[in-house]
Amino acid sequence: MSARRRPRGLQLRHVSRCPWQVQQRRLLNHFISNEPVPAYTLDEGVPGTPTRFTLAVKDNIATVPSSSSTASPQWPTTCASPFLATYTSPFEATIVTQLRRRGARLVGKTNLDEFGMGSHSVHSAFGAVAQQPSQPPRQSHNKGDSDDDGQVLLSAGGSSGGSAVAVASGDADVALGTDTGGSVRLPAAYTGVVGFKPSYGMLSRFGVVPYANSLDTVGLLARRVGVIRRLVVGGDEQEPGLWAEWDARDPTSLSAAARRRCASVREGYGGFQEEEGDAGRVLRGLRLGMPLEYNIEELDGRIRDAWSAAAKALQESHGVRIVPVSLPSTKHALAAYYVIAPAEASSNLAKYDGIRYGSRDPEAASDAEGGVLYAASRGRGFGDEVKRRILLGSYTLSSEAMDNYFIKAQRVRRLVRRDFNRVFALDNPLHDKETFSLSDLPDSVAMEDKWGPEEVDFLLCPTAPTLAPRLEDVMNQTPLDAYMNDVFTVPASLAGLPAISIPMPLEPETAGDTPGTAGLQLIGQYWDDARLLSVADAVSKTLKAMAPTS
Amino acid sequence: MSRVPTAELRRYLLTGHIRCRDCLRARLPRSPGTTASPSRQTRAFASQNATIASIAPSVSAAPVTPLRKQLKEQAKALKASGTKKKRNADNQTVPGWELTVGIEIHAQLNTARKLFSAAATSFNDIPNSNVALFDVAMPGSQPIFQPETLIPAVRAALALNCAIQPVSRFDRKHYFHWDQPAGYQITQYYEPFARDGRITLYARDGIAPEDGDRVDVGIKQVQMEQDTAKTTAQPGEVHWLDFNRVGVPLIEIITLPQIHHPATAAALVRKVQMLLASVDACVSGMEAGGLRADVNVSVRRTEDVATGKLGTRTEIKNLSSFKAVEDAIIAERDRQIAVLEAGGVVEGETRGWSLGSTGTRRLRGKEGEVDYRYMPDPDLGPVVIGDDLVGHLAASMGVLPDPEIDMLIARYGLSAKDALSLMLLDNGARIQYFYRLLDTLDERLGIDSSAELETRSGHRHALLAVNWCLHELGKLTELSADLGMTPEGECKVPSADLAAILYHLHKREITAKVAKDLLWGVFRGDITSGAVSEAINANDLWFQEISEQDYAALADQAVEGEAKVLGEFLRFKQGKAKAYPQGKLMFLVGKMMRTGPEERMDPASAERVMRSRIEEVYLLALEGSK
Repeated sequence: MSARRRPRGLQLRHVSRCPWQVQQRRLLNHFISNEPVPAYTLDEGVPGTPTRFTLAVKDNIATVPSSSSTASPQWPTTCASPFLATYTSPFEATIVTQLRRRGARLVGKTNLDEFGMGSHSVHSAFGAVAQQPSQPPRQSHNKGDSDDDGQVLLSAGGSSGGSAVAVASGDADVALGTDTGGSVRLPAAYTGVVGFKPSYGMLSRFGVVPYANSLDTVGLLARRVGVIRRLVVGGDEQEPGLWAEWDARDPTSLSAAARRRCASVREGYGGFQEEEGDAGRVLRGLRLGMPLEYNIEELDGRIRDAWSAAAKALQESHGVRIVPVSLPSTKHALAAYYVIAPAEASSNLAKYDGIRYGSRDPEAASDAEGGVLYAASRGRGFGDEVKRRILLGSYTLSSEAMDNYFIKAQRVRRLVRRDFNRVFALDNPLHDKETFSLSDLPDSVAMEDKWGPEEVDFLLCPTAPTLAPRLEDVMNQTPLDAYMNDVFTVPASLAGLPAISIPMPLEPETAGDTPGTAGLQLIGQYWDDARLLSVADAVSKTLKAMAPTS
Repeated sequence: MSRVPTAELRRYLLTGHIRCRDCLRARLPRSPGTTASPSRQTRAFASQNATIASIAPSVSAAPVTPLRKQLKEQAKALKASGTKKKRNADNQTVPGWELTVGIEIHAQLNTARKLFSAAATSFNDIPNSNVALFDVAMPGSQPIFQPETLIPAVRAALALNCAIQPVSRFDRKHYFHWDQPAGYQITQYYEPFARDGRITLYARDGIAPEDGDRVDVGIKQVQMEQDTAKTTAQPGEVHWLDFNRVGVPLIEIITLPQIHHPATAAALVRKVQMLLASVDACVSGMEAGGLRADVNVSVRRTEDVATGKLGTRTEIKNLSSFKAVEDAIIAERDRQIAVLEAGGVVEGETRGWSLGSTGTRRLRGKEGEVDYRYMPDPDLGPVVIGDDLVGHLAASMGVLPDPEIDMLIARYGLSAKDALSLMLLDNGARIQYFYRLLDTLDERLGIDSSAELETRSGHRHALLAVNWCLHELGKLTELSADLGMTPEGECKVPSADLAAILYHLHKREITAKVAKDLLWGVFRGDITSGAVSEAINANDLWFQEISEQDYAALADQAVEGEAKVLGEFLRFKQGKAKAYPQGKLMFLVGKMMRTGPEERMDPASAERVMRSRIEEVYLLALEGSK
């Protein structure tokens, strides 16, 4: 495709570069490259037999051409960027290898926001991703924003929107995404699937094209928590959990010793046990915190209602303690994220210069004195959102702005982590225990005793402040509106904590065009991933039970 | 073809001036091409042209100025006009101005692997054969710090008296260039691994005389960083890139701005190279491209020194020889002074220097200055260096150059210059060769090498070994290939064979001339290793010295007809001349050697016999005759 073609306005028709794309679900555009027929389906819960499942991989995770058959796709790794439109990686990402070993069969590379930068999967060189809610629209009077059948198209969320749609539509049992500031959780919330972001350093990033290294994590998407839990925690000895596997090729992957040390102060790493119908045992006596600062003005009323309904249901059915907590740094977290992430992005994307990747601007083919070869090629090659963040990052790193932005943002990041450490009952095994001043707390927080407020096991909050917007509305948004969607997901990313988004039922009469669910987010202390997944599974089942049957 | 008169030819060659157009044009068929274009002439020759032309009305009548005189006049005129380059030694200071220099030295570390990948470091391998995914910044690849690169780095920092930092970190320095695939270089900007060092330079290191016996220069910091790819220019607008070099570990040594003389700056770079070689931190020296220097130069008026404020500095990048360091600093100092004296302002900018040029050239100015946007590398954790590692490396470092030079001077009686050369040559391997040679020689001569060598006779064989290590081995490489010196101190002339040659020479069993021939034989491979004595046997090269009487007869023959020379000796004996006429003596000895069978004569014996003949026979005769 031409490097100059950019998604201008709504561009829903995907680019048919590959002949095997023909079977793609009409208009959803969630795959950049895929195989026609998923040959295996999920065969979960049969102990002793290798699980076979279909896997979709976000197209910023490296895959190699499959050697088995010449008819197989070449699996390029495009990052949805014109720069890498024809790039095939010579090596495979560790996480893909790990999942293959566990029986994964790759069915497609999914569409995304270019290099993972975006919240709606619309900033792609291959066109925007869309989702069709399974429920028929209640008021289908709109004209422009619909396909031939008059069906409304909604944002799939981003940046792992393609992966979320692949799971939601049944094209894949499991999908890999990347979560830098919520890029797995947000699309999961919008499309009504489960999206899990592990503790930073648990899953190898080797082969993941970096957006912001200190925040990037590999995330997993599936229709049920149990699938993800089984992969992460592991089944039996033939099926070791991903959590235990150190990757020597990723310097930020926790060493085997550190993994053991962290796991020794956590529960749930013993192995996978199906807790069918026993949500109560997992949830009984659990303390879930509801952060006061997450009840923001912009929060959609339907989500607020669903959130408190969910809390109430958990309290009533399983004796879960719901504790109001305060995370005062939350309001600065989003700003800090949009300083740190673009700064790292501007550095990571410096390699895409038109010399080795993408096409060189022929009119500026000189690097001689006064020449602007790189600037011209980069100006043509990147999409608007990527350019915006590179400029933002270049500015905040410049010598005159560094102290005021980048350094301050890093301080905020520390405060965000401190907030979490204060509310969680468990300590963060990566840091020395800190002491906190009670005078920093808002008055609204009730003290449990003279030592301070009650500590909690997990935080329970919405994943996003709104439901999936219509694509038409997304296109008319300012970039700042899109950034707002990350407000609840960014804090866990800054602190490197595990977090999961599960579908939470909405009142059916208020659900509108949406899939009928909103995202409910659970955040845990560092390396508490096993228990987080187990609790999320139980919460999920509880919520399903309370949901009105459709 | 008729002959062109010498005077005419000379005028043409020296001045490009052709007097008689007609005849020359007739003789030289391609006249337009051969007429030297005035633009090609140097200024000196151009001015000469005018004078010659005016004083020479006609060829035949022109008085022919002797060439030597002409050249002398030329030089004089040049000096008077002030265009002649002053010798560097006379150009260390400019009255009324103080120069301040700080230096950044980049040195390739002696490691097996790159800084952030397991790819091998190499120097002459097939281009692009030692490249890992991360080296070429493949999307999704990550840096893996190679801890063993710390060993030479810490050693280097210890040799520079630095404090090793327990925690240091890596930062990204951003700029676009084709030789840097990631768009940034990983370096240590905010938290380098070593700080606050010091390097002491002595007079023998070649510092400017103005700096006295010694001068201390502070080291601000030492940091680890990645090298870039190697660019090879090809004909046309084509450049070839070799990514074997990308990611190779470097250390950057940054001095404080405490250097005030150009020669001292060059001495510092030379000394850093010697220190790094002595602790085995560095693979190759400046001549092989293993070391590069950037210098920061500023000047201020002497009366401003008290204010403590330095002048605006410029940076001269990529100097690749000691001489270039000195020359570039002098040129840049003079340029800055000229700018300031003309009422101008020195711009903070980056400048370049090419070998043999007379001035620095502007590379980029302040507005074109790059903001490197330093950022901590988010993929790399801190480097934690334990005290145990530092302690172990400090203890196992061996002798540093300064104590070693002192030892060479004290123990073997070397001159400071020779000791320094021995240490510097072959990047520290020559001294190793010397020690091996001396060990073997000691053994053959039955000298207990552990005993003190205080006596002159004890020094003699060591001095012989030094001379041959420095000068005779040096001559071998003047013409052709190199010695093939290994870091352990072996070369194409095995130390055992040179020891055999020197053993025979020392025992006066062969002459120096034969010894030199043998050395060539070994170097070329004509004499197989271990067969030096056999070669002497086979070719009958043993020194069979002529008898005392034969020497005396030759001396008599040489003195014949040299009455005037003998007079000099008499003047000395009578106290009319202060110094013994050694030159005259050697003249007579030389004459003696030429007449006699040289291969059977020892110059020392000839000198001794000649001296005694003069004293005991001829002077007595002369005195008697008066």
